[in-house]
Amino acid sequence: MNGAPTPRRPRWFEFQRAIPARASLALGVSVWIIFFLLWESAVVFEWVNSLFMPPPEKVLLGLWSLLVKDAFLVDIGISIYRIALSFALACLVAVPLGIFMGSFPRVEAFFNPLVSAWRYLPAPSFIPLLLMWFGTGDGQKIALLFIGVIWFLITIIMDHVKSVRRELIETSMTLGGNRWQILRTVVIPASMPNIMVAMRQMLAVSWTYLVIAEIVAATTGIGAVMMRAKRFLHVEKIMAGILVIGLLGLLFDFLFRRLHRLLFPYLESERR
Amino acid sequence: MSAAPRETKLSVHGLSKDFRLGSGETIQAVADISFDVRDNELCALLGPSGCGKSTVLRMVAGLEEPGAGSLMLDGKAIAGPGRERGMVFQSYTSFDWLTVQENVEYGMRLNGVPRAERRDRARHFIDLVSLGAFRHAFPIELSGGMKQRVAIARTLANEPAILLMDEPFGALDAETRWTMQELLIDILESTDTTVLMVTHDIEEAIFLADRIVFMTRHPGRIRKILTTDFKGGRRVADKEAVVGLPEYGALERHIMHMMREESPSREHHAAEG
Repeated sequence: MNGAPTPRRPRWFEFQRAIPARASLALGVSVWIIFFLLWESAVVFEWVNSLFMPPPEKVLLGLWSLLVKDAFLVDIGISIYRIALSFALACLVAVPLGIFMGSFPRVEAFFNPLVSAWRYLPAPSFIPLLLMWFGTGDGQKIALLFIGVIWFLITIIMDHVKSVRRELIETSMTLGGNRWQILRTVVIPASMPNIMVAMRQMLAVSWTYLVIAEIVAATTGIGAVMMRAKRFLHVEKIMAGILVIGLLGLLFDFLFRRLHRLLFPYLESERR
Repeated sequence: MSAAPRETKLSVHGLSKDFRLGSGETIQAVADISFDVRDNELCALLGPSGCGKSTVLRMVAGLEEPGAGSLMLDGKAIAGPGRERGMVFQSYTSFDWLTVQENVEYGMRLNGVPRAERRDRARHFIDLVSLGAFRHAFPIELSGGMKQRVAIARTLANEPAILLMDEPFGALDAETRWTMQELLIDILESTDTTVLMVTHDIEEAIFLADRIVFMTRHPGRIRKILTTDFKGGRRVADKEAVVGLPEYGALERHIMHMMREESPSREHHAAEG
């Protein structure tokens, strides 16, 4: 008997043990391969009716045909424009309001009853009203997207601002900072990284409302194209629309992450 | 340094403060606190936890309103926080989005010190706390002790009339704490700074302070004001040398005895003994 430790056999499942990057990549790719294999077999072996569930390659062909024949890029552009404009407007209101509500309890006490009430009203329930007010044009879509995200955005930003550590504010006070200076040099820079994360998350929600807005009384945009495809039973085009929305969501998320890293380089070693 | 009489810098007289509890009843946090801090002196507020020493310091800083009593700095009444009473906290307060250099310049920027002067003075104090090599580092890359050095440099570079410290080394490990205590003595010797420091660490109080205000609790009152005359009016930046003196041991035992008498389990121990 010697005292050398016997190496334990490595096991597949270990609690919270990090795995090599290559293994992580291989696993990530294989889940997609399995997904497409299952999809393909479902069509080939006729587990499903291929009229309602075309195979993956037909979806890609559908996307190609949309892009080439139906000027799909214009609709994609319109959808992105609606998202960008409505989200910019929402941030323009929510960021300053959230910062003031999180900083000063008196401002919170005034606005919060209104904000919390609106948060529980489902934005789509306003569609009939918005249609009467704004008609079927862009105004109605942008208004829906705006009220869909603004209340949550205000609340999340307020909470992040509230969680700025009191000692940071007090440090600035004992260094001679007045309220405006503290807001500008402590509260805003301290909460900005979290505010950006909140914006990224709410942007994803914005895409949800976009589809709802473009399915009802719309002639342009990704959602409208999908509804038109349904009328002609072009299931592959509906799926192509879903694919594009998913890809755009990923792209925006990626861009926001890059922006986050660019704006807050001092958080680099803090992996989230 | 000679033991010449020094002028009073900070004067605390008859200071009291009540806190309202959630249940609606009020408790007296501190009662009738009176003491002076003289020019260039390091005064420590020492006592068991819950004796209200931090509350006294926060009132001096202007971060809390006194219930009663008067607070005077250089003969002027204290009203609200201000740059002449810079505070170093126990928790790390470096601004993560600023480099070490920018952190130390921060207070001067608030007070409109011209850019060139700001930069030079910040450099001087960064060197003083031996962080020259980390001038352009962000706080996230620094250890706890280094973050506290940034906080000290940032406060001193702003030229406060008195430096307030609330358990500044309380979050550090023993070795770093010791180094930081010695560093603080060195810094104070070269900058002529008056300090009011809160601590619950007897050793730290005796080693650093010229005078120790010992507080009791419920409500917080001053029990005794002790001096560390045995150091001969000098500050020795060598902790081993100070701790080795026989007078050090005597003073430490005396304070430990008082601390034990303040302990809530005193009756319990007495019954057992």
